[in-house]
Amino acid sequence: MAGTALAPGKVRVKTSAMRGHRSRLALVNAVPVTVFLLVLFVYPIIGVLSLSLKGDSGAFTLHWYADALSGVNLSVLLSTLRISAETAVLSLLVGFVLAHAIARMRPAFAALAMLIVVVPHFISALVRTYGWIIMLGEHGLINTLLISLHVPGAPFSLLYNETGVVIGTTSVMLPYTVLVLQGVMRGVDGRLLAAAAGFGASRFTIFRRIYLPLVAPGIGTAGLLSFILCLGYYITPALMGGGKQTVVAALIDQQVMQQDQWNSAAAFGVILLLLTFAGLGGLGLAKLRHKKAAARRSSS
Amino acid sequence: MPERTRSLTAAKLSADHLATALAPRSSSPTGKSLSVTGLCKSYGGTTVVDGVDMDIAAGEFVTFLGSSGSGKTTTLMMLAGFTEPDSGAIAVDGRDITKLNPGKRDFGFVFQQYLLFPHMTVAENVAFPLTLRGVPKAEIRRRVGETLEAAGLSKFAGRKPRELSGGQQQRVALCRVLVYRPPIVLMDEPLGALDKRLRDQMQTEIKSIQRELGLTVVYVTHDQEEALVLSDRIAIMKDGRIEQFDTPRGLFERPRTPFVADFLGAANFLTGNVEEGGADDCTRVRLDTGGVLTARAHPCMPGQSVRAAVRPGKLRLVGAEEGCCSGTVETAVYVGSLTRITVRLDGGAPGTQPLRIETAAVPPRPGERVCVTADRDDVSVFDATDGG
Repeated sequence: MAGTALAPGKVRVKTSAMRGHRSRLALVNAVPVTVFLLVLFVYPIIGVLSLSLKGDSGAFTLHWYADALSGVNLSVLLSTLRISAETAVLSLLVGFVLAHAIARMRPAFAALAMLIVVVPHFISALVRTYGWIIMLGEHGLINTLLISLHVPGAPFSLLYNETGVVIGTTSVMLPYTVLVLQGVMRGVDGRLLAAAAGFGASRFTIFRRIYLPLVAPGIGTAGLLSFILCLGYYITPALMGGGKQTVVAALIDQQVMQQDQWNSAAAFGVILLLLTFAGLGGLGLAKLRHKKAAARRSSS
Repeated sequence: MPERTRSLTAAKLSADHLATALAPRSSSPTGKSLSVTGLCKSYGGTTVVDGVDMDIAAGEFVTFLGSSGSGKTTTLMMLAGFTEPDSGAIAVDGRDITKLNPGKRDFGFVFQQYLLFPHMTVAENVAFPLTLRGVPKAEIRRRVGETLEAAGLSKFAGRKPRELSGGQQQRVALCRVLVYRPPIVLMDEPLGALDKRLRDQMQTEIKSIQRELGLTVVYVTHDQEEALVLSDRIAIMKDGRIEQFDTPRGLFERPRTPFVADFLGAANFLTGNVEEGGADDCTRVRLDTGGVLTARAHPCMPGQSVRAAVRPGKLRLVGAEEGCCSGTVETAVYVGSLTRITVRLDGGAPGTQPLRIETAAVPPRPGERVCVTADRDDVSVFDATDGG
């Protein structure tokens, strides 16, 4: 190792010098984007942040955060997190099966299947949600079917509760997970799987030890994406939760539209943003730990 | 580049170590015999492999040699089990394995694209086949360590394949196969992506490991030199068939078809008719250009039109000798150890290729008159209707 340490060091010096040159040019190129982001992104966020820290008199206070993290508000926050997590897991499970099937199809069929998955997304979320309401109602298609099949316990209440919300949000998140997973799965070299089979690996072993690790980055990304998107999602939970099942987004809406309480709404907004950052950080940390663990395993 | 040179020398030293480290602890020979009968495969009406028959002895190094599209890789994939043959049978030590899955055949595979698992370290890659075979953990660690050590790859054990050079990756791929000591190893142009120097180096390594362990190896390449260096026997493939399956010397000295004669080294083809009155063990050919060549015995009728093939290095320039073919030197190019000359024969039809001759003697100058002949054992005769 000591012998080789010199050479890469030299190379690194060279590239960092080149990077310095390139970055000066890149800075010029980045001006429009930077201005765009400052005006439309950073400024509003700072605005929301300062709003959430201001009392009625305009003085600094943490009152709105304390309010948001206590009592009913806290339970709404927790149930939002729970619904998001459930949605992420469910859309990953369904999305994995779908994406796996699509990735193995012939290109023409795969394109058609992707279209079928994505097209509902072009339709207004409102229309889609009402579609689900018709499907899931007590006398809806699914319950009628289950009753006629004499499934014990039918009809189930699939609407205006957490089950309904999760079904709805999962259907919204599904295209994202399928798109991300399918992209990663297409990238898996089928010959690697054949090679593993050649060494005598069973289909399960190939799936667990070769395929799953190769698509793992996609699973992490897709799961986090649907979790984050779900945290701030509004329409579907509002309609399919039927007022009983409130999420943070609905709470924000309530506070702005009904109570004209912008400071509290801003505090909720900041909390959602922080949760999103936490999710991203968590994924980054998991990747880092995985890398370190791999390095430790191989060095021992 | 000193780093590179160092690793090359290390590898050279390590080839024997690798073989020793991998040598089976039991006394049973490693290799198994392989026999193939009537193997056929076609894709959408196009026949790719057309009736391949061969018997490969245990511990033999056999190469399929042919240009692309000759069916050599498809044949190998059928041996491996990745491709299902339309008809024919494959047997290992007399046991039929035609219908067996690749994993059940217990072969080793080395591919041109290495196919190392990118998410595993070098050590994990090499350990993979062992973990599938339920080898205890301590034993796996020991064998992986020994194998990597012997291949000069110990310091890369913790690295990912993409951090390694092509040669190192291919050596890892080789370790991953040899570590579980499969009786038969199939290799599909494993050195195709490496540069010339590294390829020569790896050829030596592969050959010494194969000989040391007594492995049966079936190898695919389009590189003649590689095939000659490595193989006990070479199967020359063309259009899905084996043109000839023989030792390198046999192929070179006794080509059975014009294609083989021309494919392996170049050959001069001379047309003519079989003369009457040749001795029993030889065939005399009166050439269309005048002159007579005596060839090894070939089953043919007197008067039949034939083609005689002689390698450039086997044509001799002589003084006026009986039956020699006279002509004029066109070019003479000195290429180091020998001189390449071309001779236009006197009776040659316009547009025909001049004779190519290689000689180590003092060469004649262009324009000089010469007479050409060849020894009986250096002349092969083919029916004029044979393609190639």
